[in-house]
Amino acid sequence: MVQAQRRLRRPVGAGGGRPRRRVLLTFLLPALALYTVFIIYPLVSAAEYSLYSWSGNRQDGFAGLSNFHQLFTKYPLSEQVWRALGHNCLFFIGTMLIQTTLGLAFAVLLHKSRRGKRFLQTAYTLPHLVSPIVVGYLWSIMLNPQFGAINAALRDVGLGALAQPWRGDPHLALPVAIVVNAWQWVGFPMLLFGAALAGIPDEYEQAARVDGASSWQVFRRVTLPLLTPVLGIVTVLTFIGTFNVLDLIYALQGSQGNPGFATDTLGLLFYRTAFQNPDPNAIGQSCALAVCMFILIFGVSLAANKVFRRMEERLK
Amino acid sequence: MRKFCALVAALGATLALPACAPSTSGGGGKVHLTVETWRPEDTAGYQKIFDAYEKKHPKVVVDYKPIKSTDYLTVLPNELKKATGGPDVVQLKPYGPLQSYIKAGNLVPLDGQVNVSGWQDKVLQAAKGKDDGKLYGVPYALQTLGILYNKKIFADQGIQPPKTWADFTAACDKLKKAGITPMATSGLQPWVLAIDHQIFGATREGGNDFEQAVLTGKKDFTDPDYTASLQTVADLKQYFPNQVTAVDYPDAQTLFTSGKAAMYPGGSYEIGPFTKTTPDLQIGWFDAPPAPGAKVNQPLTSGYVDGSFGVNAHSEHKSEALELVKWMATPEFGQLYASTLKQISTVPGTTPGDPLLTQAYQGYQQHGATYIMVVDFGYGNPLGRDQEGLALQKMLGGTSAADAGKLVQKGISAWFKPSGG
Repeated sequence: MVQAQRRLRRPVGAGGGRPRRRVLLTFLLPALALYTVFIIYPLVSAAEYSLYSWSGNRQDGFAGLSNFHQLFTKYPLSEQVWRALGHNCLFFIGTMLIQTTLGLAFAVLLHKSRRGKRFLQTAYTLPHLVSPIVVGYLWSIMLNPQFGAINAALRDVGLGALAQPWRGDPHLALPVAIVVNAWQWVGFPMLLFGAALAGIPDEYEQAARVDGASSWQVFRRVTLPLLTPVLGIVTVLTFIGTFNVLDLIYALQGSQGNPGFATDTLGLLFYRTAFQNPDPNAIGQSCALAVCMFILIFGVSLAANKVFRRMEERLK
Repeated sequence: MRKFCALVAALGATLALPACAPSTSGGGGKVHLTVETWRPEDTAGYQKIFDAYEKKHPKVVVDYKPIKSTDYLTVLPNELKKATGGPDVVQLKPYGPLQSYIKAGNLVPLDGQVNVSGWQDKVLQAAKGKDDGKLYGVPYALQTLGILYNKKIFADQGIQPPKTWADFTAACDKLKKAGITPMATSGLQPWVLAIDHQIFGATREGGNDFEQAVLTGKKDFTDPDYTASLQTVADLKQYFPNQVTAVDYPDAQTLFTSGKAAMYPGGSYEIGPFTKTTPDLQIGWFDAPPAPGAKVNQPLTSGYVDGSFGVNAHSEHKSEALELVKWMATPEFGQLYASTLKQISTVPGTTPGDPLLTQAYQGYQQHGATYIMVVDFGYGNPLGRDQEGLALQKMLGGTSAADAGKLVQKGISAWFKPSGG
């Protein structure tokens, strides 16, 4: 390993030693240019737009924080923002409980199994390859009360009483969306946990076993703490993913988060405020919402990262 | 260093390339007019219509440029912002959603430019600025609301299109007993429920009298007649598909076109697509009979304008574009449009080519009503249509009509101020 690093440091520039700054810049520039055009510029312009009032696509005067004020005081936005935020929180919690737990369980089981490991790993990660829009439509067909496979299957095995209006019941719609999302993404935490498990030396488990620990105790006291760094990454990525969720819900429940906003999220609300809003100030309001979302997601991700870093430090 | 500069130059060129939009002026001295719409499915029809125009205007070529309807409203603001290379004529949403474009100065006022002297004010309202009262588009189609029914199922069950509410519910009961879903509709999409309400509830709330009463502030949406009209729809749940709250719009369409449901409350806009996808389907049309306790004792055919065509303020061929929309207000265009695309044209004196549409249009002319949630209460956030649909969704889940009425009032009053009185 050390040797490999040393080899990497060997002369790249003509004169030996460290590569010249200009060469480095040349390699960085294309990525930096793309990053600036597609990430930095939209971010900065959204922040700028949010501070102006708008008449359709025409920028009017400087409005200070008035767009933000509208977001939190003007009905129906004032109600929708908090409801959507609540749904994002539930979506995150539900995803952590279902997707991350299942991902970890699959990773542990696959780590121990010798047969069919490759096949199952591929099978679990396969839904990744499908666009969330397609997954949403696919499941909306399967969950259909009239022609859908799920209710038909339930009726066929005599469990017709469990056949529900899955997408139409305001209490079921969000949990259903969480489960569908987990169905698509469960392979992701599974792969990360799997890689981390492979990196834990067998000696640790053997030593614990010699000390008389049961399988559960080994997992709880040895394996799980060693997975903290990965758990941190998974948590932060899940947080970012669930707070930005848009496409899956859009395909499953439309832009209004049917039924009756029961599946509305901040992403959907942004889409509606920007593109389906008869208010002439739609751009101002939607950019204000985008800025709030960015601050929230960026801020919480940074904080969570710090917390997990500290937990890792303690491990060492 | 030279290589570095070359790289930067190459990168800059790559990024700048998309900015070079194709010119709209073609060779041969002909002016190319771009018409942007949200109707890719009508491309062949529009080309036929514009062929007729090009014959009379040999110096003009009309380029029909449709954009997917789901993308249209996200694309249009940017298209209209382009200083050059934008479209010349654009299809516009009616009523409230048009106002942002007017406020932004994206459109050319058409007053005094197009001849709309014989047109109804109600129709022109769809393309007018709420604040300045100026005309910014030429409306093209009128949509009417009513009940489509499967003629074969009705004949098999010995059912006639009902004239009274009692006949209507008796027909529904008979169909239900025969194992046929009486009516296909979507409880998942608020806008579909709002259309159901306009169809079944308009007579109960009082039609155009109720409209005027709310516009002038004499009544609001907590009015008992209005909440009773909401209840009329909620009471029909027993005749809707099973688990209607989870039935999506395409599902409802499929239930009807596949013959699983006998009736479909909807609009004239469904007739074309239904007959296209299921040519064997024999469709009939009737107006909902007056609901119990109705304030209007005859059926009402509700209607609204589908949209209009306006001229981009940044158009590089403004006079030619104006000439085109001027033509769109003539009976020649209206009749061509009606017969080619199977629609009800807004141009006075035209007749729809389709017999069902003719029936629907006659109904509207004889006993028409305004689809108030789109025409009058579609000018702010939340749209009346969405708020009413939301209230009905809640009612299907058990909320009382009085609470649903309060919810509608809360939404509308967030931006609507009655004209006094």
